[in-house]
Amino acid sequence: MQLDISFIMTAFLEILQALPLTLAITFVPLVIGFGIGIGIALIRLYEVRYIHRVAGFYVSFLRGTPLILHIYIVYLGIPMIFDRLSAHFGWGMNSSSIPLIIFIFIAFSLNAGAYMSEIIRSGILAVNKGEIEAAYSIGMTTRQAMWRIVLPQALLISLPNLCNMFIGLLHGSSLAFSISLLEINGKASIVASTNWKFVESYIAAAIIYWGLTLIAEQITGLLEKRLRTFAKGGVA
Amino acid sequence: MGKSFDIGLILDFIPKLLGYVHVTFLILAGAILIGIVIGFLVALPRLYRIPVLAQIAAVYVSFIRGTPILIQLFLIYYGLPELLKLVSIDISQWSSMFFVIVTYGLSIGGLFSEVIRAAVTSVERGQTEAAYSIGMSPFVAFIRIVLPQSFAIALPNLANLIIAYMKDTSLAFSIGVMDMTGRGQTLGTTTSHFLEVYISLAVIYYLVCILLESIFSRMEKRVSRYERKFG
Repeated sequence: MQLDISFIMTAFLEILQALPLTLAITFVPLVIGFGIGIGIALIRLYEVRYIHRVAGFYVSFLRGTPLILHIYIVYLGIPMIFDRLSAHFGWGMNSSSIPLIIFIFIAFSLNAGAYMSEIIRSGILAVNKGEIEAAYSIGMTTRQAMWRIVLPQALLISLPNLCNMFIGLLHGSSLAFSISLLEINGKASIVASTNWKFVESYIAAAIIYWGLTLIAEQITGLLEKRLRTFAKGGVA
Repeated sequence: MGKSFDIGLILDFIPKLLGYVHVTFLILAGAILIGIVIGFLVALPRLYRIPVLAQIAAVYVSFIRGTPILIQLFLIYYGLPELLKLVSIDISQWSSMFFVIVTYGLSIGGLFSEVIRAAVTSVERGQTEAAYSIGMSPFVAFIRIVLPQSFAIALPNLANLIIAYMKDTSLAFSIGVMDMTGRGQTLGTTTSHFLEVYISLAVIYYLVCILLESIFSRMEKRVSRYERKFG
């Protein structure tokens, strides 16, 4: 067989239509996961009674199991719970009216939350303890010291890891096809099987993922340079 | 789904699925072996700054880091037989297990190379110079002085990668390998209790993960024992 170069271009353009869906699957869980991550990280750092054990188990379990199983368990489990609640409270809705993408959002957010809580936790721990003492000494409350002093620095420290999280979610989004959402991987496999050109289609998909990853790395680099201006040593 | 949730089935399924856990370990072991070779092949040109090869290695690593493992798997599965057909080797009938191990090896190798590179550069240059000064050749100095020290530095990162790839082996069934997840699919179809199957699988993966973590933390203790703490 010859590699059909021109078909890679055709496939590329066709697969590119799935880009918005892939980006949605990447960004929405990133934002929700970030919220979950901060919450879990704070619960574990302050060892909130009882819940910090639950939080610890949540993080360890989700980090210890494959993302594909999270997708399947959410996809099968949520409708079951939803239908039972719906029957109990008489919402007059059933789970088949939930759009598929919601399951992906839930599964990916829970997954991202577990990973991000560890990223944020290590970021917070890396902030010099003197910072929080200085904040207390000028009369800030714990909450103020956390939000105004520690977290901004912790997030800057975790920026490279958060970028990796973004890339991880981007690559993870290729699993959304397992519940038949047509993101880039799904589109590629349809283009592949309708035209019987598997290699070309997946090359096109790989180029898209690769390009997105490179762009994400560039943006993180720029962002880091900009945000780090305060951290420059010296006098000028 | 269809049938109602039965928590007792989870305990029922775990031993059935556990019978396929060796496939996961086989993929992982094969991938690690290939990965170590690829890792060094890719890291060394960049460490010794060999022109052209170093650039090719950089592009290779960037590609591996830039594409999902699932896409890499499909590329190898469909692409490699076509590629080898050009030199008239026919592997299209080979088992999909082969393609999975090759893909995971190539993929983990790209990431290993980054870990190896970082670990080797973090060993003080003075160590190499000291080795040269007592008459070691560059090769001996690398093998006997730099490598053992960088292994201790690299181990935590290697462990994380290996655990991440262990979880990714659950994608092998997408090209038809009968691993735990693949068996889970058939078990789910015959019993129509998919949710219970997936929960059992999650429990097994979690246990394997904990097992690997404890093995690696023991190894870490062992390889870093030379860093004695002075009172």
